[in-house]
Amino acid sequence: MKILVPIKRVVDYNVRVRVKSDGSGVETEGVKMSINPFDEIALEEALRIKEAGKAEEVIVCSIGSKDCQQQLRTGLAMGADRALHVLTDDEVQPLAAARALLKLVEKEDPKIVFLGKQAIDDDCNQTGQMLAALWQRPQATFASKVDLDGEIATVTREVDAGLETLEVDLPAVLTSDLRLNEPRFVKLPDIMKAKRKPLEEIALAELGVDAGPALETTAFEPPPKRAGGRMLESVQELVDELKNKGLL
Amino acid sequence: MSRPEGIEFVDDDASRMHYGRDWTRFWTPAPHSIAFPRSTEEVVALVAWARDEGRALVPSGGRTGLSGGAVAADGEVVVAFDRMRDVLELDPAEPSIRVQAGVAVGEVQRRAAEAGFDYPVDWSAADSSQVGGSVATNAGGIRVLRYGMTRDWVRGLTVVTGRGEVLALNRGLIKNNAGLDLRHLMIGSEGILGLITEVTLGLTDAPPERSVLLLAFSGLDAVMPAFQALRAGLSLSAFEFFDAASVQAVAAAGDRTFPLEAIAPFHAVVEFDDPDGSAQDAALAVFEQLVDAGRVVDGLVSQSGSQADELWHWREAISESITPRTPYKNDVSVRVSRVPAFLEALDELVGRQYPDFEVVWFGHIGDGNLHMNVLRPEAWSVEDFREACNRLTPAVFELVGRFGGSLSAEHGVGLLKRDYLASIKSADEIALMRAIKQVFDPDGILNPGKLLTVER
Ligand SMILES: Cc1cc2nc3c(=O)[nH]c(=O)nc-3n(C[C@H](O)[C@H](O)[C@H](O)COP(=O)(O)OP(=O)(O)OC[C@H]3O[C@@H](n4cnc5c(N)ncnc54)[C@H](O)[C@@H]3O)c2cc1C
Ligand SMILES: Cc1cc2nc3c(=O)[nH]c(=O)nc-3n(C[C@H](O)[C@H](O)[C@H](O)COP(=O)(O)OP(=O)(O)OC[C@H]3O[C@@H](n4cnc5c(N)ncnc54)[C@H](O)[C@@H]3O)c2cc1C
Repeated sequence: MKILVPIKRVVDYNVRVRVKSDGSGVETEGVKMSINPFDEIALEEALRIKEAGKAEEVIVCSIGSKDCQQQLRTGLAMGADRALHVLTDDEVQPLAAARALLKLVEKEDPKIVFLGKQAIDDDCNQTGQMLAALWQRPQATFASKVDLDGEIATVTREVDAGLETLEVDLPAVLTSDLRLNEPRFVKLPDIMKAKRKPLEEIALAELGVDAGPALETTAFEPPPKRAGGRMLESVQELVDELKNKGLL
Repeated sequence: MSRPEGIEFVDDDASRMHYGRDWTRFWTPAPHSIAFPRSTEEVVALVAWARDEGRALVPSGGRTGLSGGAVAADGEVVVAFDRMRDVLELDPAEPSIRVQAGVAVGEVQRRAAEAGFDYPVDWSAADSSQVGGSVATNAGGIRVLRYGMTRDWVRGLTVVTGRGEVLALNRGLIKNNAGLDLRHLMIGSEGILGLITEVTLGLTDAPPERSVLLLAFSGLDAVMPAFQALRAGLSLSAFEFFDAASVQAVAAAGDRTFPLEAIAPFHAVVEFDDPDGSAQDAALAVFEQLVDAGRVVDGLVSQSGSQADELWHWREAISESITPRTPYKNDVSVRVSRVPAFLEALDELVGRQYPDFEVVWFGHIGDGNLHMNVLRPEAWSVEDFREACNRLTPAVFELVGRFGGSLSAEHGVGLLKRDYLASIKSADEIALMRAIKQVFDPDGILNPGKLLTVER
């Protein structure tokens, strides 16, 4: 059985994001880029499933510019067997990504497509669900625990009310939540090995996908600055201030 | 007792306990009271008053010092800079930042980053340490390799001497060769020559993106050649070393699993510039070369900022994780090339005298700076352990002297190492230090007994 893990190149979680001075987007020039953390968790889970002998192959894929190959190579160094790169320099929104992924699914016939629940750049939380709908297969999102038994996946999900357990028939779409696992570090010798693993490039246009944006972003602006703190001289003054603001 | 007008004082027991000591726990705090000046003028008034009253003053910053420099155990008045926390100016052209002495070093780092710059002197207590304290101790930390010590960043100081003079030293200038530079006498003077009230620090460009390696070495003799090879192949900003006992301590304290498969005798966290992920290839090349030479047995490289933080944690958490074992700490340095021989000799010395003692080694090995921490065996009382360590000290410092090293690489002398200064400094040098102290503080009111003994 194959597991397909889509990974997205995003601004590193630790970077303080800055809006471009012309408001056209977020600054990515000279900024550290990494695998979307939820995708990294999905990949880790896929690798663990393979290591447990329940899958034969883990394939990572990414949609985007040439730079994405850096993250694909990281995925290969973590232990994926091969990589697919859908090449485009255009913005890719969730529906377009789901359509492109469907084409890869048709090509590779995986039993599981394991995505992150959302990407930390646009926080859409849509691609996995859209893919499941297009593919017409079950979905189990926000997974915090996954057990495989033959053609059935038992998935514990983190939902507002607590934990929910689902059984889904494979093939299916799974998406990872934060607590599913702790992704591994990349070993230096594995970076070397990753260079020799296959990485296939496919132009987005070749897949015959309509990648036109469904949404148009008109402006980016940073959140308003917080007003600075003020030192008060005494506890009494603090109490008065809180009373004035109706907080006491 | 009269008090200078307008200056805030406290003398309740809790405050006296809190402000009467630094990070060390060897002396019982017993200050007379604590003064909180708000300005250079108020510090001048305090000094005038202290001279009149014959009161000793102990300057006190963030009290993260590790040598007892800010300890007040003898009826002194603590001068705390907690009410002098204004950032006065950030000049983006130079670039530099001017602050009152009580501003936290971490705050300077944040302000610099917000303005697109970097204050690169950094260590795990930077958020609690004050700029004044960091100048008075000439703090070093984890990126000395690339950026040097606090001294290298001080562009200006306002200081009140023990005679009450206000000196504006170097006034923020980058170049100033007009005579003796008293600024450098004040840096690292541990509060015995003057009270620092204002500091101008140089800033540098915002750092590039960096990645972190975690390496496992085959043995001690592999560490220095590996450092050299990495330094030649990469643009290093840190090379921090720690032994197996350090890993075990951090793992136990935080309930964490070490990310390498096996714990080796020695490890290093190595940070390098990696602006667009392309330096990882260079890192890999050096790594392969080191593996082929049998020096490195395993290694990881961070793929994200959070992974870099996680790898750093294994170095940065060591100090805190061994605190419950009341370690006997040593902060020694030798020339970089002598580190392995020195470490071996020191390890042998401790092992011979106290075979039961567990020693934790870590440090800024790229700077020739080792932190030797001897842990108290659970069965020993703190008193017995301390006494045993005190018996060990002269031999340790004698060895340091023999290797041409220093008994304090970055933590200062304070009370802790005062009586051993002669093992690394000549009588002439110490006599000159005394003479200088006499000039700046003729009445001996500034931090008496720290760094130098008080002459009666
Ligand atoms: C967990 C931990 C890790 C550390 N790691 C490092 C490290 O890697 N590198 C390093 O160099 N240090 C390290 N230190 C030591 C310490 O943080 C530094 O020495 C720091 O610079 C002390 O600053 P402080 O404001 O806390 O000074 P304090 O401890 O308050 O005082 C230190 C000395 O400076 C004097 N002083 C303070 N303020 C003034 C002033 N305004 N004018 C004149 N004299 C003054 C005091 O009298 C005293 O002698 C570490 C400490 C801890 C607790
Ligand atoms: C064409 C030209 C260009 C220059 N450009 C620059 C420049 O760009 N930047 C710059 O900084 N300078 C510059 N200088 C000045 C000069 O070269 C420097 O000051 C240089 O460091 C002086 O070194 P020296 O050996 O010639 O010292 P000298 O001129 O011999 O002595 C300079 C001082 O040092 C003392 N001294 C000399 N040797 C010792 C010793 N061993 N121990 C104690 N004291 C000693 C002397 O008593 C004297 O006070 C320039 C000079 C010239 C002629």
